[in-house]
Formats: sequence, structure tokens, C-alpha cells
Amino acid sequence: MWQALDVGKPTFRLSFGDLAMKCVVVCMLVLLGWAARLSAELLLPAECSIPEVVDLCIDARLQESDTIPALPADDATLVRRTTLDLVGRFPTVREVRDYLSSEAATKRVEMVDRLFRSPTFVRHQANELNMVLTHSDSDMTGYLRQAISEQHSWEQIFRELMSGEVTGADQFLKTRVQDLDRLANDTSVIFFGVNISCAQCHDHPLVTEWTQAHFYGMKSFFNRTFENGGFLGERDYGLVKYKTTAGEEITADMVFLTGSVVEEPDVVEPNDEQKKAEEAVLKEAKEKKEPPPKPSFSRREQLIDVALREGENAYFSQAIINRVWYRLFGWGLVMPLDQLHAENPASHPELLEWLARDLVAHQYDLQRLVRGLVLSRAYARSSRWEGESYPPRELYAVVNVRPLTRHQYATSLWLSSTSPDYLSGDLSAEQFEQRIGTIEAGAHGFAELIEDPTGDFQISVTEALLLNNSEQVASDFLRDAGDSLVGKLKAIQDTNVLFDTAVWNVLLRSPDEEERTALTNFIAQRQENRVGACQHLVWALLTSSECRFNY
Amino acid sequence: MNDPNYLKITKQVERSGILFSVAQQPETTRVFTGASDSKIYAFDVMAEKPEPVEYVGHESYVTGVVLAGKYLVSGGYDGRLIWWDPETRQQVRSIHAHEKWIRAVQATPDGRFVVSVADDMLGRVWDVENGTHLRDLQGHAARTPYHFPSMLYTCAISADGRYVATGDRVGHNVVWDLHNGEQVGAVETPIMHTWDPKQRIHSIGGVRSLAFSSDARLLAVGGIGTIGNIDHLDAFGRIEIFDWQKGERIFELVVDTHKGLVERMAFDPTGKWLVAAGGCHTGFIAIFDLATGEIIKHEKAPMHVHDFVLNSTADTIYAVGHGQLVVWSVTA
Amino acid sequence: MPNLPHNEFCGSPESVITRRGFFGGVATGAAGLTAANMTLLDVLQEPAFAEELKIRDKRVILLWLAGGASQLETFDPKPGRPTGGPYRAIQTSVPGVQVSELMPHLAQRLNHTAIIRSLNTHIGDHGGAATVMHLGRRSEAALKLPDLGAMISKELVRADSKVPDYVNFYTATEGRYSGVGTSGFLGSRHAPMFLTTESKPENLTRLESVSAVDHQQRADLRDLLSRRFARGRQSAALASHNEAYARVRGLMSSEKLFDISDEPQSMRDKYGPTLFGEQALVARRLIEAGTPFVKVSRAWWDSHGQNFETHLELVSELDVVMSGLVDDLQDRGLLDHTLVLTLSEFGRTPKINPSLGRDHFPSAWSISLTGCGIKGGAVYGKTDDDGQTVVDGEMGAAEVFATIFSALGIDHQKEYHVGSRPVPLTDPGTEAVAEVLA
Repeated sequence: MWQALDVGKPTFRLSFGDLAMKCVVVCMLVLLGWAARLSAELLLPAECSIPEVVDLCIDARLQESDTIPALPADDATLVRRTTLDLVGRFPTVREVRDYLSSEAATKRVEMVDRLFRSPTFVRHQANELNMVLTHSDSDMTGYLRQAISEQHSWEQIFRELMSGEVTGADQFLKTRVQDLDRLANDTSVIFFGVNISCAQCHDHPLVTEWTQAHFYGMKSFFNRTFENGGFLGERDYGLVKYKTTAGEEITADMVFLTGSVVEEPDVVEPNDEQKKAEEAVLKEAKEKKEPPPKPSFSRREQLIDVALREGENAYFSQAIINRVWYRLFGWGLVMPLDQLHAENPASHPELLEWLARDLVAHQYDLQRLVRGLVLSRAYARSSRWEGESYPPRELYAVVNVRPLTRHQYATSLWLSSTSPDYLSGDLSAEQFEQRIGTIEAGAHGFAELIEDPTGDFQISVTEALLLNNSEQVASDFLRDAGDSLVGKLKAIQDTNVLFDTAVWNVLLRSPDEEERTALTNFIAQRQENRVGACQHLVWALLTSSECRFNY
Repeated sequence: MNDPNYLKITKQVERSGILFSVAQQPETTRVFTGASDSKIYAFDVMAEKPEPVEYVGHESYVTGVVLAGKYLVSGGYDGRLIWWDPETRQQVRSIHAHEKWIRAVQATPDGRFVVSVADDMLGRVWDVENGTHLRDLQGHAARTPYHFPSMLYTCAISADGRYVATGDRVGHNVVWDLHNGEQVGAVETPIMHTWDPKQRIHSIGGVRSLAFSSDARLLAVGGIGTIGNIDHLDAFGRIEIFDWQKGERIFELVVDTHKGLVERMAFDPTGKWLVAAGGCHTGFIAIFDLATGEIIKHEKAPMHVHDFVLNSTADTIYAVGHGQLVVWSVTA
Repeated sequence: MPNLPHNEFCGSPESVITRRGFFGGVATGAAGLTAANMTLLDVLQEPAFAEELKIRDKRVILLWLAGGASQLETFDPKPGRPTGGPYRAIQTSVPGVQVSELMPHLAQRLNHTAIIRSLNTHIGDHGGAATVMHLGRRSEAALKLPDLGAMISKELVRADSKVPDYVNFYTATEGRYSGVGTSGFLGSRHAPMFLTTESKPENLTRLESVSAVDHQQRADLRDLLSRRFARGRQSAALASHNEAYARVRGLMSSEKLFDISDEPQSMRDKYGPTLFGEQALVARRLIEAGTPFVKVSRAWWDSHGQNFETHLELVSELDVVMSGLVDDLQDRGLLDHTLVLTLSEFGRTPKINPSLGRDHFPSAWSISLTGCGIKGGAVYGKTDDDGQTVVDGEMGAAEVFATIFSALGIDHQKEYHVGSRPVPLTDPGTEAVAEVLA
């Protein structure tokens, strides 16, 4: 599935095997400023590892723009970031402390691999993919969990979603089958990174390569799809017609985004007799709760074929690379995510192409991709910029702050407001995962009250009011109980220990001087009500920005 | 009707605009049709090149045309009922009959009375000969439960001229004694009205057609099923048939081959079949077997059908709608 | 008379006020003048300050008719034409001007309203069209443009304002996210308070278990922690997080504004019994208390089928709600300072489809402007006999925005800056429609 790579080592310690030599040579060329404009194929051999290539390309552009990147993030921050991205929660105090005290040179890789093996990994990746694939009207996490735990490739998931035959995956088509325009455009946006809806009424006003022929060409892959008694079906006939702005009526061919026209056998519209017979068959299938008969020629299958075909699969491979990159780096190589076209080049075109080819060569293994990206240096930089003016995001000189998703935030709030004793101590790995699982499941209710971040995410006053004034927040996170943080804190006499425990539990670090002073003053004014004081203190930590973001 | 399985189009006449209502001169192929351009057109449909003559007088859509006694009587969205001499095309009288849109006009088979229904939520009974307003049928609410103005879409008269049925926007259907204006029955078909409180916060639908069986025992109510996306007529046509005196629903028929409103229905005289037609963006005609409650014949119509007449020998259907008039024959 | 801070000026040096104090801490706009040692009278006589004071007293209520309201069934009827539809036109209180018979109440009040009939906005899909009508221009991939509400909230808001600056009601679920509004590069300070359920935000009341002092002080502690975190980190989402928390107390104290139960029944009847009416009444309460911009969305007008039935419902409602609002504003002396707009993302086709519907139509449609800065009774622009094309006064979203800003006394060519890039409120070269301005 993936190779164990020792990419934790800085470049100068690489051994000088053939592969390493190639990479070193490339590095030198980069330093000499030659690499920037030459094609990826020439200089970035397929055998380089993902992290190596990522860092080479990112560093090359940094060089070019005379930008010195931020320092690496400190260990605790890196653990927090990686844990959030791989398993969707804050690390526990114990997990961070263990990492900090480890001297192993390979500890970063080991941490990553440990997280990959955790059952929470599957659930979190399923949540993330669910956000990509669905609007708020449906939930495909059931299917996605299975697919991810069985290590389905992205190609396999795509096939399953398009086939309409796999339980759970069929929701993709079913929730959109009543509006085929939307189905065509959603598929194009999600799987190919192309929003062509503007090209419905006229050729796209801004992008010359997308015309009405493209929009209706894409729609043609779906126009025969229908629903029958809860099952998806596809007819053998049916053509898409449209009117140009000149008023000309055109019958659309199946046209993929690359412009390739897909041939198909001639279609004969059935006569009334045949239609009646077809209806009878469908009616029977509905009554018997069976799927309708499959067509002899499936237009949807043609889309799967053409999209994955060599020479045509750049959209498919680049779109998912871009989405995964966006999720982990907070800014896509192509922005916006649905404008993957010639007039909107990637910030690092050679990197995007290499990653895409690499993905194809490894059978669209997304987990391998994710692993490679989170082990890069670019991923591990600090998110604090010490310099003068903040650099353009596309340089990746400093890590982006990213708002937590609803599940990440809810789970982490639960986790942070739980007593540290509940999750450290002598738990076996299995018991630990079980407790984490319980916390995660319990967090679903609160997660519903939080908005998932979309592109231009602004946190609303609605959320601020919720955290300030709702009963639920008070009873979920600030309760005084045996297994809660408040319960633990109220019994601690030494205020410094209290502050350390509290701040560590939520923010995974010690408070600094300024904070300590403020906390001391706060507690001092609340001597008569220790529990209340602890509750307010925990509230301030949980609602702080530091807790709300992945950084 | 000989055999519904032999339904076929025998004539199509294209018209610009929308034809909302139709009447047939009995024993002839001459029809009168009310249009969206405020005119009534009369012509022989089977003529090689039908040459319509015009009746000009309404000021808006003509939604009801009936032959009653010596007259052609029409009603429209201008709220007026107009009596015409069918031959000379002169207006005999023109009455400001309702404050709001007249949605339908029907006549008793003996030609003595005419009933109009309008969005002022009144049915009104008129004497054909002298144009007198005889009585009101008052019992439909002016506003829907959601505070919007309601509509009174349709009426039907039983073959013996005794009963009138009226149906409205929210699925309330009343049967009246035509001669004294009293309510003698009511049946509810709330499914035909979709109120969307969540996605679009308004409504769509309503009862669009009514028909009595020849013995007046059954009342068929036609409309549309529950709609998800109320921007469109996006549900199958729906018919509910009641033994209205007992208040019992006998049949619930879904035109599950075609979407849209059931705009008009007619029982065949033998009582074996019910013909229904209507549409959304497309049109349909369907024939139900009343013994089994199954559709035994259905066709896509060339247009959204707004009205039709089943002739006295039940072998021909003259249908009008969006941009067309169509004649179906139902005979071997 | 605008709300001046109460100030007894007796002429003594001790009574000198600073400009900062006068405008409640706003340090924007007029040419960098400082008001140290200026007296109150001086301030009022200083044209720039006086201008700024006048501007900051203006308000906007946008009635967003989401889904595409038909101009043929509202402001630009074509009775008797083949595609005019069955509704007639009626006379209004403005000689020579007719509107659809569906708006009898507005017809009687049209002397406060200007109609523009000549919009051609080219975009026929809901999302794209709504975006253009919210931003006044096409969106850009690289630049997060602010919408009308955010720009107006920025221009009109007082810094110390305790009420929300920009409230957006959108209760129906259809089209909600095309109409959501964004503050773009203006930042979360000017982001709308987005109300989707009911007419009142939830969680406005402090829990009994938390004292007012604790509520405040724990918030201060939160702020301290968050400020430390924000150093060296640049992110719109991060800024919005702290903005949101900063506004909590102000919003909590404006809870009563959203509660119409203390309005007399006669007032509530003026607006009618529907949710749209209630929200318009809340909008009046909000602007009366100082909220500069309230958007009340009425979705969903997209009558592809049954256009005439749907418009009977929705235009009848709009007629009652908007008339009620105009009457109410006038009675309270607010109409001169309040601009009431009806906008949509496009109009509807003259052609009537077989479902008796009308489809999307951006080529020739109408908007209305009422109140502040508007020449009541003006009609600008003409469409042909059937409403198929604009024959006079063709304009787009940019001109609409320029006109709105001008009506409020805001310079529509004023520039914001994003980095070094100037971004004027409307695209360069855009002219306001003088014919509808007072």
C-alpha cells in the first residue's frame, strides 16, 4: 500500500544512491534557478517520493520569489495538526507529551503511521469525503467508511458512485436524479474540478474552452438516468437537445471536458407499443422492488471510461489532488477548486502534474497521497509569520490557519472538556480507541449546531451566541462531574497546577506569563465559587480562537 | 365509447396562444373555443382548412364556453358572462357576473341554467333565457389557511341537472342543489393542494376538474398529487372518485404515466370508463376502467390539455389546450 | 432631525468636544481633519463632518425577491399583448404610470417610489445572477468582493453601535445560499447576521447560571487568549471568529428589537399575517434603532409552472407588506432617511410556457426604489410592447448600485483598497441614474 520512507531526514544526510543522487542533482539545479521553467517529467522522476517532490517544488518557487519560509512548527503544534488532519480530533495531553519526550529520529513517521492505523482515521476521512460529495441533503458516511476501511481507490469510489448499484454510494445519483443539470454540474465540479454551469445558456463568458457543447455534452452522459421505485435505471434511448444563442437547435453528443466526443450506437426512439411495454416492465420492477433492467448501452459507463482513460484522465487525477491538497494546506494549487482550466494555471504546475501522474501510477491510492503530503516539510511549517508583510498564500511560505469542521470542533470540545485522567493512565490501545469512539459519537449532536466551513468561511454571530448562551454548551462542556475537566480542576489547590492542567488539556501547551497573570486575577476574584471559576476558565479556553482552528 | 383501446388522433389544428375552453355543437364537428387573446373562435374542425369566425367582446382569457338553449354563453377572467347569438355572433347580453376571474362555466343539459364559478369564491346560477342571477353557491373560503387568496377553479353539473359540484384551491369540494343553492354534500381532496412551508413558502395545485357519473352517484375530482418542487407541476395527475352522498372515496387514481394537472374529466355514458386529460409542460389523455381502477389506455397529448368535450355518442373527444386543438376518436 | 448626541454647549473651553467623541469613535472619511479644539457648532458647519453626519443617519431595507419575480406581473405590465398574461394594469397615484392590478395598495403610494424598467443583466442562472445582483458586478476568483449590505453597513455604521449592522432574513430553504451575502475583503465586522429560522436569533439571553459580570469577564479572558493566538496569523476566518464574539453583548442587548409581540395588533395588521410581513416589521424596528441595512428575503418566485397563480399569492403579499412598510416609515418620519428597495436576480419571460409558467429572463426587467434620495413617481427606462427587449435606458447591476449609493449620499466611485489595488464601490465609469434621484 505504501512504502515506508525515511523522509524525516534533512537533505544533506541522504545517502548517495541513484535515486537520491537524482534528487540532489535536482536540488542543485533548483538552487541554480534552472528548474523553474523546465517540465516536471524531465526533472522530477517518477521514483521520487511525494514529500521530496512537494518540498522541491515549493522551495523552488520560494527561492524564485526571494521569500524565506516560516520556521518548522514546534512538535506539539505538529502533533496537533497531524492528529486533526488524520483522525479529526485534538491529540490528548498524553499523546503530545509522549511525542515531546521521544528522542526517536523516526517519531514523526511513526506518529503518522499510528494515526493511519486508528479506526478514527476511517471515520474522519469518511467525514471529509462526505463533505466533498454531498450537499446538506444527504449523508454518505456509511458507505464511505466501508470504502475507506477496505481501501478502495479513488477510481473505485468514482465507479461505485457513478454506477448506482452499490448501496449507500447510490445516494450520489439518487439525490440528484430529479435535476439532471445539477447532477452533470456536480459531477463535473467534484470529480473534474470544472464548473460549467455558466455554459448552459451560452458559451462560458470567461473561459474560452468551455462552450454550450461542453455543458450539454456532459449532461448527455446523464440524461438517460432515472429513478424507478427507489432504484436507479438508465434508458437505451434519449438525446439532449439545446438551443444556441443564435436560436439554432442542436442535438448534443456525449462530449467530455477535454473535447473528446464519445461515439455511440444509433438510437431509435421506441414507438408507442414499445414504450408501453417498457412501462409495464418498470411497473413490475417497482412492485417487485427490483432494479429496472440494465440498458444495452450505458451512457454513464461511457463517462467513467473516458474520464479514466489515458490521455483524458488529467481532469480526474488533478481535481482530486487539488482537493486533497486544499484540505491539508488550506489553499489549492488551483483556486478556486472548480476552475481547473487553461486560463487559470496552478501555482505550481509541475507539482500538480507530477502528483497527478504519481496518483495514476499508484492506482489512485488516496491514503498514500495523504501520507506523502503530511510528511512533507511544507506541511510542517509554522503558521505564525514573523516577517513584515504576509506572503501570498500560493507560495506556502507559512502554514494556513484552517477552521475546524463541525465534527472536528465538536469532538475536540468534548475531548478537551473531558478529564485528562479519563484518557491517559494505563489504557490499552483498544480501550483508548473505544473511549475516543464514545466521545466522537457523543459529539454528533453538538456538531449539528455548527456550520461546516465552505470556501469563504466566516464564523457567524450565531455560533458565538450559541457558545455564549446555550444550555447545551453549559451542560455538555462545563459540567462538574467525575470524568470532566471542570470536575478535575475544582479539586486542584495550587493555582499554577490548575492553570497548567487546564491550558494543557485544551490548548496542549503551558500558559505564558501574560496568560498566567490574567488567569491568576480571574481566579482571585472568584474565591467563593471555585467550581464556577473553573467553569468560566474552561469556557474561555474552549471558545478561544486557538481552540477553533487548525494551525 | 366503443373501445378505449382504439384511441387515436384524427385531427390537429394549431393556434397561436392558449385555448382554455371548448364546446361542441351537438351532432356536428363544429366547435367553439375560448382563447387567451380574449376571443372565442368557432369552426368546423374536420374542414380541410378550418376557417374560424370570431366572437369579440371579452377582455381577458375566455375560460368557459357552453351552448345553452339558443345561446352560446361564455365567461372569462374579465369577470363577465356574455350571451351570444351563435349565428350572428352578436352579443345578446353582457353581465358583470363576478368580481374576480371566472374560472369555469357549465350548463344544465336541458339548457335552462348556466353555472359560473370564480375567484370571488362564489358559484352563481343564472337563468339562460333572461340572464337573471338566480342564486349564489357560497361556501368556499376566500383565503387559504396560510393567508393567501384562494381560487374556485371548477364546477360540474349532473346529467339530470339537479346537482352542481364546485372545487377549490385547497381541495374542498361541495355538492349543491342547483335549484335552491343548498349544500347537499362535501368531499375533501387536500392532497391536490400542496402548501410548502419550508422550501418556497407558497402553494400550488388545487382541484381543477369535476365530473358526475351519469347516475350522479359518483363524483370524480381531478387535480395533481403532492409536489416536491412547487416551481413546476412536478407530480402525477390525480383523481379521486367518491360516492359523494355517502361521503366515501371509492377510487384513488394516479396517472402514474404522466405528470401534470387533471384539467378535465368525463364519464362515458355507460359508466364503464372515465376519460381524463390535462398536462404540465406536456399533455396527456388517460382512460380509466372504473371496474378495476386501472388506466387501460393513455397517450401523451400533443399539448397541455385545458378542456375537452366527449360527444354524445362517446366516440369523439374534442380537446383544446396550449397552442392546439386536437380531435381523438375512440372507436374501432 | 438626525439623532445628535446630547451636548450642552456653553462656549467654555471645557465643553470643546473632539470629533472622535462626536462620531462615537469613528475615524473615517473626511479628509483627515482632526477635531481637537473644534466646538460643536464648528463641527456642524464643517461641510465634511456635516455630510458624514447626514450620511450616517441613512438606512436601507432591501426586499430581496428571490427566484426571479415577474416584471410583467408587477412593475412593467403589458396588458392585452399576446404574452401579457391575464392581469390588467391599473392607474397609480402618479399620472401616466400604471402597474399590475396585483398591487393596488402600492399603486396608491407610488408617489414615493421610482421604478426602473430597463434592466438587462445577461445572466440567467440563479446563482450567477444573484451573485451579480448582490455584488453589483461579476465575482472574481482572486478578490473577495463585498455585497451591497456589507458596503452599506461599512459606509453607514457607527463604530460604537450596539445593534446589528447588517441583518439578513432568509427563511425559505430554496436559493438560500445564493442569497446569503458576504462581506468579502471588508471583513467579518460587516458580515450579515443571517437569520434562517423564525425572525429572531436564538441564544440572545444570558443563562441564569452566569452573572453579567462573569459573562463579561470570561469573554475578556477569551479575548486575551485569542489575541495572543492571532499575532502573526492572517486569516479571514480567524478575524471573523473574534468579530463574532466581539458583537455578542451588543446583540444580546438588542434582543427586544426582534420581538414584535409588543407592537399593537393594528401595527401588525398593517404588515399582514405572513412571515414576510413580520420580518418587514422587525426590519423597521431594527433600522429605527440604528441598524443601517436589513435585507428581508422573500423566496421563492421561480414560477416555471403556474406563474399567474404563484404571482397572485406572492404579489398580493408583497403589495400588503411593502405598503405597510412604506406607511409605517412615513408615519414615523423615517421615510426620508430610509431607502426601500425591491431587487431580484432577474425577471421572467414574456413567453408563457405550457405549464402556464414564465421562465428566467434577465434581458428586460424591473426594480423599484422608494424613499431616501429618490424622486418619487419617476419611471426610468422602457421595454418594447411585449417586454422582450429594453428600448430605452438599458442598464445593469453596476448602475443599480451606483444609483443606490447616490440616493444615500455615498460617493459610488469611492475606493476601498485591497493591498495596493483600489476597488471602487462600483466599477469605474458607472453612472447613477439621475432621473430617479431627488
